Amino acid sequence: MIEFNQVDKMFDEKDKPLIALSDITLSIHKGETFGVVGESGAGKSTLLRLINALEKPTNGSVSVNGIDVSNLSKKKLRQAQKQIGMIFQQFNLLNNKTVGENVHLPLELHDYPAALTTDEVLRFVGLEDKKDSYPSQLSGGQKQRVGIARALITRPDILLCDEPTSALDQNTTEEIVEVLKKVHREFKMTIVVVTHELPVIKELCERAAIMEQGEIRKVITVKRSTEQANVKPYHERAIEVLTDD
Amino acid sequence: MTEALRLYIDRVIEFMPRMLESLGETGIMLFFAMLAAILAGIPVGTLLYLTSEGQPTENRPLNRIINAFVNIIRSFPFLLLVVAMQPFIRQVYGRATGDPIAASFPMVVIAIALYARFVEQSLNEIPRGILETAQSMGATTWQLVWKFLYVEARSSLVIGFATATISFVSYSTIMGVVGGGGIGDFAIRYGYQRYETDIMYTAIVLIIILVEIFQWLGLKLAKKLDKR
Repeated sequence: MIEFNQVDKMFDEKDKPLIALSDITLSIHKGETFGVVGESGAGKSTLLRLINALEKPTNGSVSVNGIDVSNLSKKKLRQAQKQIGMIFQQFNLLNNKTVGENVHLPLELHDYPAALTTDEVLRFVGLEDKKDSYPSQLSGGQKQRVGIARALITRPDILLCDEPTSALDQNTTEEIVEVLKKVHREFKMTIVVVTHELPVIKELCERAAIMEQGEIRKVITVKRSTEQANVKPYHERAIEVLTDD
Repeated sequence: MTEALRLYIDRVIEFMPRMLESLGETGIMLFFAMLAAILAGIPVGTLLYLTSEGQPTENRPLNRIINAFVNIIRSFPFLLLVVAMQPFIRQVYGRATGDPIAASFPMVVIAIALYARFVEQSLNEIPRGILETAQSMGATTWQLVWKFLYVEARSSLVIGFATATISFVSYSTIMGVVGGGGIGDFAIRYGYQRYETDIMYTAIVLIIILVEIFQWLGLKLAKKLDKR
């Protein structure tokens, strides 16, 4: 469980402090898929980064599984961070390492008793044949799959997704959403997704927080679309959109 | 024409032993400079990067001290650095002149300062997201440096090293003033002081070939390492 308790976050700008988040109180339940939506600059990425303590709150506290992550020693902080997986908008793969080496990287940093193997996670995301390729040889969607595989290999309790599909086209976005749904189905992990793309939240999340100017306006239960995702080839979708009145 | 060529070849053969000896002296000075660049330049440059503003490991006082060292050494006219270091070299090594090892001391100092700056610049080119990823995985600073930064910066570090080495060749050419020898000193003594112009140009061509080799090796290795 992730709990925000009256969290404020301010950044020191040159002339005046920038208020990124104000008075955030929120709980995200264990095993749920939770979305955070809002326009650019609404503070949603900052909110996500408080969960794995990439940022520290100015006021208030954030606790993950009962541990206050805003107030840990460096060593304890690393211990907390290693239990949380994260994927990024720009994928953040190491370009000089192969896909297999990228995926295995977290296991070189810490011991994970319940870790999966590189082959298992690559098979899970459908890239078992790309193990020896370099990221520059992959498409955007494939790179994000590698990012997901890298996050999964440690079997984290929580997966944080920072604009996971914003650098991808619509068809690839749906592919990634399908992979994330499969992650949730098979590993039952808590998934927190930050994005400005509403269809992603609609497809993936059970609940969502709507943010504006650093505040949570509302937390809602998402009405999931019942119809199965209908992935059309790009050229069909292009014709449909461009010839529509 | 063939007569002139034969004469030239005879002269080159005559001067060859002295020229090879000078190249050996240049080699000694370059060896110490390159070794210092790797063993000390890389750590100092990494420290410059890690302690700079905005990093999780920011440390302003330490950053200022290292920056001051690098800037002072690099802004010293090299000839004056050589002369200024004389008493120190005499203290440490026993003699300060007439020996390529004594002449290597100032080379070592400039090598550390110069390559540290190149290393810092290479690390600065790494996208911010890579640091964030390391942090999100709970990497220690040591792991960040070895498993993320050096991996992503390696081809840029190699190119910087080739550029630095070429500067070391240039710095080594003035070591004649303290009797350090080297191919540059050879060119000055025979070409400038004894008007053996043909021998001077031969030495200069050797220096150019040396530089070309370093440049070629550096680019080749960098390309091999770069998978971006």
